[in-house]
Amino acid sequence: MRGSFSTLLIVLVLIAIFLRGDFALTLIYLVVGGFIAGVWWSSRALTQVQSKRQFNNHAFLGETVKINLRVQNKGWLPLLWVELRDSLPVALAGPHSFRTITNMSPRGKASFEYSVEAQKRGYYPIGPLSVSTGDILGMRETLRVENQAEHLVVYPKIIPLTSVEIPSYSPQGTLRHNLPLFEDPTRVFGKREYTSGDSLRRIDWKSSASTGRLQVRLFEPSIALETLVVLNLNTDDYYYRSRIDSMELAIVIAASVANWVVGKKQLVGMMVNGRDPLAVDGKPQSIPPRKGKLHLMRLLETLARIDAVDSSTLVPLIQQQRYQLAWGTTLIVITGKANNELLDELYQARRQGQNAVLILSGRDTADETINQRAKLFGIPIFSIATERDLKIWMMETKRV
Amino acid sequence: MNQNPGSGTGGSGRLSQIVSYVLIFLMMTCFAMTVGNLIQNNLPEWHSEIVVGVTLFIVIDRLYTYQRFKSLTPLTPEWGITFGSQWFVITVFVKVLLSYANGSDSFVADLARYSRGDLEGLINPEFGVTMLLAIISWYLTGEFLRLLDETGLDQIIAIRESATPVKSGVTSHQRLANLMVGLGIALVILTALARIDFRSLFLNAAGISNTNPNQFSGGEVGTLLYFLFGLALLSQSRLMSLQVRWDQQRVPVSSNNLAGRWSTYSLVFIVLLMIVIGLLPAGDSLGFFSLLGTFLGFLFNILFFIGQLFLNLVYLLFSLPFLLLGKAPPTQIIITPTPTPTPEPATDIAAQATYNPIWALLKSIVLWGALATIITFAVVQFVRQHGGLVETFRKLPFTNWIIRAWQSLRGNLTRTTAAISRAMADGWENIRSRLEGNRILPRLNLLRLRSLDPRRQVYFFYLAMVRRSGEQGLDRKPSQTPAEYANKLEKALPTVDEDVRAVTESFIKARYSRVKVESEEANIIKTTWGRIRQALQELNKPGK
Repeated sequence: MRGSFSTLLIVLVLIAIFLRGDFALTLIYLVVGGFIAGVWWSSRALTQVQSKRQFNNHAFLGETVKINLRVQNKGWLPLLWVELRDSLPVALAGPHSFRTITNMSPRGKASFEYSVEAQKRGYYPIGPLSVSTGDILGMRETLRVENQAEHLVVYPKIIPLTSVEIPSYSPQGTLRHNLPLFEDPTRVFGKREYTSGDSLRRIDWKSSASTGRLQVRLFEPSIALETLVVLNLNTDDYYYRSRIDSMELAIVIAASVANWVVGKKQLVGMMVNGRDPLAVDGKPQSIPPRKGKLHLMRLLETLARIDAVDSSTLVPLIQQQRYQLAWGTTLIVITGKANNELLDELYQARRQGQNAVLILSGRDTADETINQRAKLFGIPIFSIATERDLKIWMMETKRV
Repeated sequence: MNQNPGSGTGGSGRLSQIVSYVLIFLMMTCFAMTVGNLIQNNLPEWHSEIVVGVTLFIVIDRLYTYQRFKSLTPLTPEWGITFGSQWFVITVFVKVLLSYANGSDSFVADLARYSRGDLEGLINPEFGVTMLLAIISWYLTGEFLRLLDETGLDQIIAIRESATPVKSGVTSHQRLANLMVGLGIALVILTALARIDFRSLFLNAAGISNTNPNQFSGGEVGTLLYFLFGLALLSQSRLMSLQVRWDQQRVPVSSNNLAGRWSTYSLVFIVLLMIVIGLLPAGDSLGFFSLLGTFLGFLFNILFFIGQLFLNLVYLLFSLPFLLLGKAPPTQIIITPTPTPTPEPATDIAAQATYNPIWALLKSIVLWGALATIITFAVVQFVRQHGGLVETFRKLPFTNWIIRAWQSLRGNLTRTTAAISRAMADGWENIRSRLEGNRILPRLNLLRLRSLDPRRQVYFFYLAMVRRSGEQGLDRKPSQTPAEYANKLEKALPTVDEDVRAVTESFIKARYSRVKVESEEANIIKTTWGRIRQALQELNKPGK
């Protein structure tokens, strides 16, 4: 098409040279002006288009997220047609992406709403929004600009656990315990008569005075459960046939345990060896144990973003972090397979006064030798093949 | 995912068809006008109005019967009957019309010829040209309609067309544009030919007609209008091609009145374009083309000279055998360049009478400005569209050499500027130090630490260290460099040896280099000096 226009221009210039008439010059103006004005109009108008996306960028599994897309033409030039295309990940929108055609008058606005289903945990880009237009005469290919993408965090599934058997030796916490070793002087639950050997500090002088006999206070034993969830997302540590499901299950277990611990008003931290898209080097920062719902959201956000990684063994990571943990902290290690090296490391942790629990996620995790060795080291092992297996921790509350 | 399923692009199909047909009719009318003008100028005895009328009749007929012809399979008996009967009627109609236009006698004479079977006598050049134009109009109108159908006027054909791979990367919209421009080029040439008086050209070799070049003839108006309608048709075709694409890709259209707005904006665009073109100067702008003409004439003369030289050489080669045989060579043909007809610039007496030099200057400025803007914009757009062009240009050895030369020149300039400013700063520093009696710091009675810049604050603390150390018997000899003196102090004050080293190094940097001294550094030196002072005071204490 440009070739024919060039020929026309050459003919016009030659005619203008040899015949010297207004006609040729006017036609040159018309042809060149029409071409230039058409191209300039579309490219100029496109630079004036601004878009804004509004949506709740955090969602729980199964939620529907409504995305409101506002497009504004800031300029005085109208846009004959604009194609808006918001790229969406398959996990949110299936094979479709938001796509529509509209036109925009000068200083005009348009608003579009669509929704996506949070079907799978993850950290999803919403966009970039591709804004395309073209010139009125079709001289030029479609012009396109892309606006920045935003992200939606879909939290992992949380299974409400009620009775997780996690050992702890941290005394004077808020969790009730059955070992009198962990008696908490702030939790008085009764009195009895003084017997020889009772500490004088336990004598309740007021009740002794009123009864005329020495009475001693009875304290309820309690523990503090400071927990560090250690999640292994090294692909080599999962059985290859069910790798993806097992890893997702491991994330669900981690999220559920963290939720349970926070629900008990205890401290929980997390250490993962996966890949975090927001981390500078891709390695997620370990999160030190803290309390509270806000902290839980932080943990869940990390679990939402995290991806599996190759060749990143867990043991050096535990070695590195173990020394920074308080005495009595419980390490809940969630992995696909356990090996001797990991058990040795957890045994060392036990010797230093920390507790260790091993949760094996996925099928084909049973290894008799490892089980026997863990039993020898006093490390409890739980095998969770499916989410249904978590029911063992959903029964009525038992004393830990 | 929820999306507003498209409000569709249908509904405007009928309107699009009407608009497209009207535009094609108008374009073909312009074509007929231009051709008619050419005939009128050169063959006034012909019936140009009949030719134009017949052309328009053919266009209307083609527009009317196109749908019927489309439904027929070419080269089938049915198609042959329809096609043959139509053209038979057209031929008879044209002949009757032309005969009748020549007068009743001519008409009767033609009838008599027909009754005698003298068919050859019925065919004359006027009839032949009219029939040729009829065929051309019939074909062109059909081509426009066919391409519009493929673009999107006929949804079924358009979808089928877009589903098949595009031949040589040219879409139907582009083909339509090519046809429009191609016909436009032909019209421009015809319009230019209409300016030339061929009779005069053949009789007295004064080619250009005496018409005013700054006044549009009917043909020129026709050509201009043809391009305007052509642009409108291109805009319409663009919309249709986009609609087909969106339908095919199932993209919902959320705007209810996209086609309506498109038409409005297209109309506004063309009207604005016309206004701008109308405002741009054209009459007084022929100097530019005159310049181009001179340049082309010069090129032509050079080529002519080379050609003549070549011919003379060939002649010499041929004449050699004749000379050897002692015969006279054939007569040499000397080709003399015929001067290219350079028509006189138009002179308008009325315009000369009201000639205003300021107005002429303004017009000229506007013209050249407009041309310069167009050329600059076109070049910039071209460079932008060809992203690799700049890179390729940069990689050229010559360009590379120019860039390097420029960088070298720029580097030299920067260095020279830096050297000059350094020399000026040094000079000012010297003047200041002389004025202050060769001191690097002002007199103590005038000194306010806060008013000193960080560099001078470092001087101050170092000199304070030297003075206080001297008071403690650790004099600095005039021959000692700061580093040597620092060694002496470090030995005497082992507890603050690092601090002494830090103060000395900071002083050396501040005094003998042009590195900027930050206020944070001066503050650190202040603290360091505090510790040194304490250590010096402790030297006096008993037991030390």
